[in-house]
Amino acid sequence: MYDALKRGVGAGAVAGVAYGLFVALVATPAIAFAETFEAGHGHESGIDLVAAAPSVVGGGLFGLLLGAAFGVVYYLFEPALPGATDTRNYLLAAAGFVTVSGAPWLALPPQAPGAEYALGSDARLVIYAGMMALGALACALSALAWRRTEGTATVARAAAALLPFGLVVAAAFFAPTASSSGPIPDGLATAYRGLVVVGQVLLWMTLATAHTWLLDRTAASELTIPRETPH
Amino acid sequence: METADTVHDRIERAGTELTPTRAALAIGLAAALGFTLMFLQDPMAHDAMHNFRHAAGVTCH
Repeated sequence: MYDALKRGVGAGAVAGVAYGLFVALVATPAIAFAETFEAGHGHESGIDLVAAAPSVVGGGLFGLLLGAAFGVVYYLFEPALPGATDTRNYLLAAAGFVTVSGAPWLALPPQAPGAEYALGSDARLVIYAGMMALGALACALSALAWRRTEGTATVARAAAALLPFGLVVAAAFFAPTASSSGPIPDGLATAYRGLVVVGQVLLWMTLATAHTWLLDRTAASELTIPRETPH
Repeated sequence: METADTVHDRIERAGTELTPTRAALAIGLAAALGFTLMFLQDPMAHDAMHNFRHAAGVTCH
């Protein structure tokens, strides 16, 4: 259990550094540019890395937190995941993405700064948390459906595993719409959304890759005889 | 890592390895960090985390 947590934190450190760099080098300039469209925003579009530092650290901590959770959840639910070690890691990372970001984004798409929200922050917080829970539930049902349909055709199994995600889509459809307007051109808003999605996908992929690597390494060291013998 | 056991075995094993205090501490710490990063509305935390929250697509601010 502690080994699993350690592996998770290790993978989270790798993903956190990568994501911190993404926040510093990609997201910060994009946000600074988007802010130039904000009405009454006096400051220049120059990138202030000192002011952005807490956000970069926040990105790193976010990676660490996700990594620690990933390690523990992987340890507990590994037997329920299908496939070999690497498949299991990437599937769990996909489930993590759906839970933390994907499902909530269906109801509340990521917004560039300056967007005005139709709903208050309390209402949005409740919707975000609710969609996270629903995303996790859909992932669990999907894994269960894949297991229960063992022995049937792969196409049928895949369809059964995809079915629970309809729940998330339906819920997002019926959730109060949080359409927002802002001074940012539509093209930039779309590009910004794509940038956020890519950032999170890369974060989870880095996490899964680093975790797989650490699993291989620790498993190998348990099996092989130490190369260096003490003098 | 052996894969023959079930989720139930894993949870049971975690239960014998972890004391409830430690488990509560770890969950509490993770929840506090997650809440601070993603949802805390306090103006200072909000301003400091502004770019990160926009970058992570957390719209709760």
